[in-house]
Amino acid sequence: MDLTRRDFIKTAAINSALAAATVLFPGVTFAAWKESGASFGSIQWKKTPCRFCGTGCGLLVGVSGDRAVAVKGDPNCSVNKGLCCVKGYHSVQALYGKDRLTKAKVKKNGKMVEVPISEALDLIAQKMKETIKKHGKDSVSIYGSGQWTIPDGYVASKLFKGCIGTNNVEANARLCMASAVVGFMTTFGLDEPMGCYEDIDHADVFITWGNNMAEMHPVLFSRMVANRKRRKNVQIIDFATRSTRSSLASDKSILFKPQTDLAVANAICYEIIRNNWVNWDFVKNHVSFHKGKTNIGYGTEDHFKFKDKLEKVDWNAYKEFLKDYTPEKVEKISGVSAADIKYLASLYGDPTKKVTSFWCMGMNQHTRGTWINNLVYNIHLLVGKISSPGNSPFSLTGQPSACGTVREVGTLTHKLPKGVVANKAHRELAAKIWDVPVSNIDPKPTYHTVEMFRALDRGDIRFMWIQVTNPMVTMPKLKRYRDGMKKDDRFIVVSDVYPTPTTDVADVILPAAMWIEREGFFGNSERRTQHWEQILPPQGDAMCDTWQIIEVARRMGYEKQFPWSRETYIEDIWNEYTRFHEGAKHGMAPYKILKQRSGVQWPFVDGKETKWRFNAKYDPAAKGKGFDFYGKPDHRARILLRPYEPAAESPDSEYNFWLNTGRVLEHWHTGSMTRRVPILNSAMPSAFVEIHPDDAAALGVVNGNQVKISSRRGSIVMDAVINGRGNPPRGMVFVPFFDEKYLINEVTLDAFCPMSKQPDYKKCAVKVERV
Amino acid sequence: MENNRPTIGKLIIVFAVCCLVIVVAISGLTIFSETDSGAAQQSGVLIAATPEFDHKGSLAMDRYNRTPDAYITGSSSERTLNEYYSRRQYPGSPPFIPHPVMGKFGVDEGCATCHASGGFVAKWNRHAPVTPHPEMLMCQQCHVSPTTDKNFVETQWESVLKPRLGQSQLPGSPPPFPHALQLREDCVACHAGPGAVTEIKMRHEPRGVCRQCHMPVPNVEPFSRDL
Repeated sequence: MDLTRRDFIKTAAINSALAAATVLFPGVTFAAWKESGASFGSIQWKKTPCRFCGTGCGLLVGVSGDRAVAVKGDPNCSVNKGLCCVKGYHSVQALYGKDRLTKAKVKKNGKMVEVPISEALDLIAQKMKETIKKHGKDSVSIYGSGQWTIPDGYVASKLFKGCIGTNNVEANARLCMASAVVGFMTTFGLDEPMGCYEDIDHADVFITWGNNMAEMHPVLFSRMVANRKRRKNVQIIDFATRSTRSSLASDKSILFKPQTDLAVANAICYEIIRNNWVNWDFVKNHVSFHKGKTNIGYGTEDHFKFKDKLEKVDWNAYKEFLKDYTPEKVEKISGVSAADIKYLASLYGDPTKKVTSFWCMGMNQHTRGTWINNLVYNIHLLVGKISSPGNSPFSLTGQPSACGTVREVGTLTHKLPKGVVANKAHRELAAKIWDVPVSNIDPKPTYHTVEMFRALDRGDIRFMWIQVTNPMVTMPKLKRYRDGMKKDDRFIVVSDVYPTPTTDVADVILPAAMWIEREGFFGNSERRTQHWEQILPPQGDAMCDTWQIIEVARRMGYEKQFPWSRETYIEDIWNEYTRFHEGAKHGMAPYKILKQRSGVQWPFVDGKETKWRFNAKYDPAAKGKGFDFYGKPDHRARILLRPYEPAAESPDSEYNFWLNTGRVLEHWHTGSMTRRVPILNSAMPSAFVEIHPDDAAALGVVNGNQVKISSRRGSIVMDAVINGRGNPPRGMVFVPFFDEKYLINEVTLDAFCPMSKQPDYKKCAVKVERV
Repeated sequence: MENNRPTIGKLIIVFAVCCLVIVVAISGLTIFSETDSGAAQQSGVLIAATPEFDHKGSLAMDRYNRTPDAYITGSSSERTLNEYYSRRQYPGSPPFIPHPVMGKFGVDEGCATCHASGGFVAKWNRHAPVTPHPEMLMCQQCHVSPTTDKNFVETQWESVLKPRLGQSQLPGSPPPFPHALQLREDCVACHAGPGAVTEIKMRHEPRGVCRQCHMPVPNVEPFSRDL
């Protein structure tokens, strides 16, 4: 302490230069940020949900002048309580990539030319009218996203379903959450989780099903880990097909062969019954048993159709059904030891333990995605561990408003904001609120996402407007759908914030106002609606997606249905939309309250949020004293008899590896935003293929070697990673899909769950060769 | 202005009161934390909340109590403010990891080995900086390790000026702290010891009740009675 401050700093400079030379990576130097000249004290903090995943963390964005300059976690938001992940902390940097789209562009003589945005909007309206006139109303379509804000999805549905009269409205959430939705609908009759994130603070056991939460839902994962440390008796079990960061942080990691989660879930139920861990009181009063069709196909052919038919069965039929799933039999199918199956069953079965199951894409992107959702609910229903704090089968969402927009507004071909197009009463309600003749709303659904892109390829659809998503990276069996889009006489409009492989095939590009450059709402995984005000001005001519649709609707002659002013349209749309959800089962909070709070959960009844549904203690819509599964006419949740059936394509002697695809912590989906964030790109600059060390040795591949991955659809060449962040078992390779330079979806298969129509990105057969 | 000028006498009184409050609070916390909550409720004993109040002010004190004075006053002059900011994208962003991450960790005990309480790391020939939030276990949720400095696309990102040091209201008066406290409530972690950034290191006798003298940067609006 005898140095003066000046000496201290002088020696510090010398020492640190020396030390830095020995410490840092060779060749990697990062400069501090460019300074704007404004002082730290000029920062104003504004609340918003995060732009990225379905967790729905509350952020405080620091604004100085008309730029976002910093981020803090919102301590008032119960989702994340002030903590974010590395994507959230750097989210605002995604606004400032140098190639932001700020001008509308139109293809003229094969070249994209900048035009005033009004000219582009004129052209879109004109093309839509022409196409409808020439090819009928079902030849125009809109393809949106779980990143659509609630008003975006609402006006899209109103224009296409209400005004034009076509059910050609789909969203990328079909690729992401459809199995979860159909799982909820078939078991409970109502969509979205009954529990909430607070379950994490009550559960004693967490079982994650095919779910790498440490990378995909990091804020929720670290909350589980913090609970384990604080409460001592908490266990986390990772049940997965590949070892990940989540496996390492869990107390036990159990690996299963792809697709066999179906068999293991049934085996767990078999064990629960054999040991008499059944909660009889719950089962007798709140559960019914049903059997559906089996051997239901995979949807790989055009015009594939499937409709399930349920038949009521009794307890004995269920017991009989489970006889095929003894732990010993299932060990042979799944590769999970009978002892581990019994262990999992004992955790679910122990009456003293509260159990929460988490899952996301592993269970949803599955050719039997609906079934595996049903089967995990079966487990929770058998032991009555549901709809109470800590007892929670919890389906996580991947996108910030997959729930809020796609599921609640219903931007899917068969849906309406309340109910389905096939239901007359639902059509009448929609026609009344939308102020359109009820005959406008077509009672027949048209195309789900994969079939919609097939229809575009075939020519049944001629016009597609794509907003907030990047299907030319994400569609499975990509080549077919890219070729389809490029065909003559197809007209593609893309609204986005950056150039992507999808804007590359567009005839019109509309520059979109991104996230906090406009006002909006998202809805997260736990039924929480989150409002943010416009915090920044849009860049250049960029326009809010909602307003783009309103402008086109007015040009098509629907001024009456889209009357709102630029100043208040978001509030006006909210007030109109929430009329669909009035009542105790789905009441939404008023605009004023959403504006004040960091998210509000629905059902919002008499000024109160509902944390746990179907439990009279917490849910005002539930009748009686205990549980009330009011989504079904008999007020009972359903245990569904769903067998194990194999994957659409499994490894054989030629294509001898499983291909599994997914995400990484640093990048969100196709990386069109996160790759423009310097630190995220620098930590994860390109995609790779993970190979098990023994497979790599057999192939003669070492870290960094190039390998070729081929399937019956296509192939890519990329760098191998051995013992990287994740480690697949022998016979499987894993490739993340964020990198447009390595389009793994050239290789994947467009097989889907016949019930949910959600493709399976986790399983197809490939061969792997050293290049 | 005259009313704003604190006298030495006032300071001593404030210090004494703070000490008293802290001693009472700490002894209280110890007693309550040893009491079974159920039994306590029945007997009507008050239950102290978790020590979340006052921006988790107890964290700095706890760290101070368990860190030897020799470490707190130890100096290395290895880390400068420039280096500190070169790891960040704006004031307060989570810094990246400037060294290769060795081994694979689920819960990042690996990081905690060096960054929980600091010390000299022979491999890097430096003192490890101490995390102000050791209760956070999944370090790589927020801190990532770059492998390249090439951008995918050039960025137009800019942020505000780095906070100015000093900013004392009077010559020699304690400088206010120019940053938010969220996740950085534990002052001692970053402002003391040989891993601390030289320019912002504690320059006086070791103390753990930092916020009795240091306060947030004062609001620029002068006080006026709202009549």
